[in-house]
Amino acid sequence: MAKKISEKCYVHLNGKAIGHVSDPYAYIREVKEARRKGVISGEVNVAYLEKLNEVHINTDRGRVRKPYVIVDGGKSRLTKEIAEKLEKKEIDFGYLTRNGIIEFLDAEEEENTLVAMTEADITDKTTHLEVDPVSIFGFTINTAPFPEMNSAPRHLMFASYIKQAQGLYATNFNLRFESRAHILFYPQAPLVTTSAYETLKLSRHASGQNFVVALSTYYGYNMQDAVVISKAAVDRGLARSMFYRTYSDEERRYPGGQKDVFKIPPATTEGYLGEHAYSKLSDDGVIEPEMTVAEGDVLIGKVAPPRFLEESIGAGGLEEKTRDDSVVLKPGENGVVDDVVFTESPGATRIVKVRVRSLRVPEAGDKFGSRHGQKGVVALVVPHEDMPFTEHGVVPDLMLNPHGIPGRMTFGHLLETLGAKAAAMKGSRLDGTAFSERGAARLDEYGKILEAHGFDPHGEEQLYDGITGRPFKAKLFQGVVYYNRLHHMVSNKMQVRSRGTVQILTHQPTEGKARLGGLRFGEMERDVLVAYGASLLLKERMLDQSDKATVLICKECGTVGYRDYAKRVDVCPLCNSNRLVEVEISYAFKLLLDEIKSLHIRPQVGMEE
Amino acid sequence: MAKDHDYNVQAGEPVGVIAAQSLGEPGTQMVLRTFHMTGMAATAIATSGLPRIIELLDAKKMPSSPIMRIYLKESYSKNFAKADEVAKKISEIKMGSVMRRIVENFSKGKILVLLNSQAMQAVDLTARSVAARLSKEVGVTAKVGEHGNIVINTHTKNLKEVRGITVKITKAIVNGIEGAGRAMVVQDRNGEFYIESAGSNIEPVMQVEGVDPAKIYTNDLFATYRVFGIEAARNTLALELMKTLEDQDISVNDRHISLIADAMTADGTIQSIGRHGLVGKKESVFAKAAFEETVKHLINAAAFGQIDHMRGVTENILVGKQIPLGTGSVRLAIKNKESKKK
Repeated sequence: MAKKISEKCYVHLNGKAIGHVSDPYAYIREVKEARRKGVISGEVNVAYLEKLNEVHINTDRGRVRKPYVIVDGGKSRLTKEIAEKLEKKEIDFGYLTRNGIIEFLDAEEEENTLVAMTEADITDKTTHLEVDPVSIFGFTINTAPFPEMNSAPRHLMFASYIKQAQGLYATNFNLRFESRAHILFYPQAPLVTTSAYETLKLSRHASGQNFVVALSTYYGYNMQDAVVISKAAVDRGLARSMFYRTYSDEERRYPGGQKDVFKIPPATTEGYLGEHAYSKLSDDGVIEPEMTVAEGDVLIGKVAPPRFLEESIGAGGLEEKTRDDSVVLKPGENGVVDDVVFTESPGATRIVKVRVRSLRVPEAGDKFGSRHGQKGVVALVVPHEDMPFTEHGVVPDLMLNPHGIPGRMTFGHLLETLGAKAAAMKGSRLDGTAFSERGAARLDEYGKILEAHGFDPHGEEQLYDGITGRPFKAKLFQGVVYYNRLHHMVSNKMQVRSRGTVQILTHQPTEGKARLGGLRFGEMERDVLVAYGASLLLKERMLDQSDKATVLICKECGTVGYRDYAKRVDVCPLCNSNRLVEVEISYAFKLLLDEIKSLHIRPQVGMEE
Repeated sequence: MAKDHDYNVQAGEPVGVIAAQSLGEPGTQMVLRTFHMTGMAATAIATSGLPRIIELLDAKKMPSSPIMRIYLKESYSKNFAKADEVAKKISEIKMGSVMRRIVENFSKGKILVLLNSQAMQAVDLTARSVAARLSKEVGVTAKVGEHGNIVINTHTKNLKEVRGITVKITKAIVNGIEGAGRAMVVQDRNGEFYIESAGSNIEPVMQVEGVDPAKIYTNDLFATYRVFGIEAARNTLALELMKTLEDQDISVNDRHISLIADAMTADGTIQSIGRHGLVGKKESVFAKAAFEETVKHLINAAAFGQIDHMRGVTENILVGKQIPLGTGSVRLAIKNKESKKK
């Protein structure tokens, strides 16, 4: 009897069966050998799936592959001699891949391997060796020091915070018109770096600064994740940055030959913002560089044709009606015009870009984060004289609440504090690459450096209260930590409103900062006032401060009527009665009545005296 | 000294909202803390925490893990052997759990059930008793055959019917009361024995010799309601809510829970909290429309010409009136001269 189909070992090339083999193991060995010798492309991956009894060969695009050192007979192919040659730059990485020392494996082929983490872990079953143990982390996490000392969730948090860090994102930022950009004034390379950080040359466009950090409370101002920073440090430029925002507009063409025009709108324009708003524009209708601008100022003056065709013809064609479509500085913002650029779109219409810059000095409410997933918001900027100090006169730049450390298990943060302090005293940067040394050995190393410079080997220092001048009863753990200033800053978010714009449909206040909106008094907030029994406060929130409307309601039939000012009488449109009363209701209710009426249902409102 | 009326709630106090908030706030915490049961034996997991609270407030017809506590008459409760005998009468055992294999003989219309002697011994069952019970439950003639197996004569040679009987047999109850679950004798602090069981079917259990029918407890709300009445159901509901919260180390004042239990049972039946229960029974059209199924309520109101008397909270906020609660519950009751003239 012929063999069952499932007993044949089929070979699939990029998911398509192309034949079968009798001995899959020998076949795979052959393919791999050919690849390692360079007979076939190094991009070919081959895997034997034991459960399916199938061989899969993949050569297609889009597979994620990772390099491994080949091990045979219990020995790494990356011998000392080759490593030395590599060190001397006699050979390069390409030599290793071409000569079957390092190969790239994809996800399927990885299933057939036994990878040793280090050379010492190699047994006779081992097939590959990790190029470096750090490769179990990604690039981003490997830029942080001592990741192996932190709990895993903190790595993910660091990876998301570093994306928000301000730094020198590009050296030609002066020529770029980014819609939003932050430039840190004095970016520094971290005192504790890692191999990944150096390889990526991140210190060339660093995104943080080395802060002197004391692990201490400060009169309850750094509760939870709040931090306290020193006013003196801020005044000297700590974490100072510039915020750039680009406003742009285009002279659009419309069907019918009409088009937008950049110019100072004439006072007859519909939606004219007033002479004052356009006062900073130059003759071409666009603002000049280095002009100080504040809320409500127009940056680009533009007039547009009316939205509807009839309007332009309406006035007998004597003078064409126009509509103001100027670009105004966003509410709550101010600054200086940094640069103005005129360009042309592919459709040959003129485009203007105006970049406004404004200074962002650290203040209470700004967000900072270290490289260990430890973020915090500034709660207080403390005057220099109130900050604690050491006998040498060292004053911390930032004070972090020590309660934030044990629960989150970010030991790397503490190790960096100590390591960067040692690096600062030693005068050279230290390495904090993952798995490079045992933690205890590092502690000893840093302790010795600190001791040699007259510091406590554990990083503890006697500090004095800046307010009373008395020494603290306990010594504080103080050192240096690389901090990132994250782009969430109060000055970009803060907004207040007492009265303001309302929505057309509901007469309720608008929502959102851009529309000068109010803060929503939601269902749960409502429940709180109900539970408290504060009925008038609740009415004020829901009615008086929201969509109060006074309507006339017919005493006879309960429908909403109107006041005829010409005849000086109130009229009910339904029963022609003149007996109407003024009633204060929410506009939302009036709208509900109207909508119910539109469904051919007649609601009636009954009233009591 | 504090006087009794110092503890009374003042008129106009929105006790319902406060109760809802007092139960709702710890409820949000329970969602985040459901991991606490991990690692326990699968049989011991009873529905607890938030799922149980939801089950209670939704007034589900049957709890997802029903439980009975059966107290015994005095002569039984002092004696383990006698208590155990009662437990054996109650404890529900299905054929499937005490058999090894079932063999059908379609040509002879007979079914052979091979028993699992170990499982049989563990629950103190004999082939004879099983056969007797099978005959009664399935309506066939079951006899003890060779090697202690059970031979069943189906009196039919129809293939479908034989197979149907096989299925019935595997599901048949060979001991105890249907739905009662595994019953076990437990000793309380006073040294008295009672029975705990992992199922609930109190009506037949009450008939069992030795059971004190007045003291039987079940977490099945509707069974309690059927047998003992609405007051007992209210107490069970409150008790179950309190116990569930207590198990999660959440302390909510009993008065809030009592209020919720009262509200759910106030009309003499058990009502759920939600659109099919309490909220659905609200008086105001606007309040119902604001909650769920807006259009349905408005159309009904229009069709039947309903009047909203504006007595609740939601509808008064909607139109912009002061709510009739707390400071808003006070009205001026003096008539002035002008209004007398009218």
